[in-house]
Amino acid sequence: MKKNFIIVLLGIGLIIYASTIIASRNTIYYYTTSETLEINISDSERIKLGGFVVEDSISKDGGFTIFTITDGNKDIEIIFDGFVPDLFQENMGVILDGTLNDDTFYADDMLVKHDNEYVSSDGETYNVENYSE
Amino acid sequence: MMLYGPLIVWLGLSFFGPYDVTQGVYSKLLYIHVPTVWVAYLGYTLTFLYSVLYFFTKKNKYDSLAMANAKSGVVFTVVTLLAGSYWGKQTWGTWWVWGDARLNLTAILLLVYLGYIASRQFNKDLAKTARNSSFIGIFGVIQIPILHFSVIWWRSVHQQASILSQETVASGDAPMSTDILVTLLLSVLLVTLVHVFLTKKFRITNDILWDDYLNPKSRAKI
Repeated sequence: MKKNFIIVLLGIGLIIYASTIIASRNTIYYYTTSETLEINISDSERIKLGGFVVEDSISKDGGFTIFTITDGNKDIEIIFDGFVPDLFQENMGVILDGTLNDDTFYADDMLVKHDNEYVSSDGETYNVENYSE
Repeated sequence: MMLYGPLIVWLGLSFFGPYDVTQGVYSKLLYIHVPTVWVAYLGYTLTFLYSVLYFFTKKNKYDSLAMANAKSGVVFTVVTLLAGSYWGKQTWGTWWVWGDARLNLTAILLLVYLGYIASRQFNKDLAKTARNSSFIGIFGVIQIPILHFSVIWWRSVHQQASILSQETVASGDAPMSTDILVTLLLSVLLVTLVHVFLTKKFRITNDILWDDYLNPKSRAKI
């Protein structure tokens, strides 16, 4: 009985420990554009960069998609070579994975970050400011 | 039958319900993903309450109820992970994001309660098993508030809460169209019903185990 009890307690301890480690390691899952321009990173260091796609900035050049993202303060030009999710469009939040070279970000992986507003085809829209970041 | 009624209505509602125009038809997964995770939270919270009650009273019915709620919670956690993963593929562009706090914590939540169910096999003595498992049931609940606030505390690819957010609770206005909101709330109600009947089903199995344990003679006759 004692043995099993210790196993159970150890198990719970391990799980709580693991979740805190995982959670604290990912406090910054991605950087904003302002943060990216402030921190010192080498040309070869891969980072994740998040921001909103600027209107009228999307263009195609060969296999590359070129666009600009912003966090409201600083803009960064993105040269993207990879799979573009269907939802990718102007004003949408995106998270990119790649490297920064002379203030241009070369990315090959994109996640589209959808907001928490749901508007149906015949529904009215609400104006709720939920994006505090 | 009581189980399949709400289940079918819920799936029908999700299939024919309204969707977000930006995200497209796949945003109907909202009616699967959100109610199932809420009801999983409900199940684990009840597991916590019944585990506490069992720990202090040692009445076997509380252990049966704790176990039944955990089982149902695991079913709904699996559904929410599958629906969420598919939704992620359609909108974010990936099935899973390693390193995202909310996604990882949900996977851990599932593992903990799978562990709870597995812990029932640790000891042949059901009373000791129930006592040990009640510890997991009691401590496991800590994860729920961490998981719920994970999108606020840590930057995540996951969207913020639409209903259970400070803004919505304070203003009373959810950032969604009325028809989507109504469909979502109906889904929550239906999934809660599914949970209630699923729990009833699971409880019978646990009660039989307890009956065998407490009355070994009646079992010998069979």
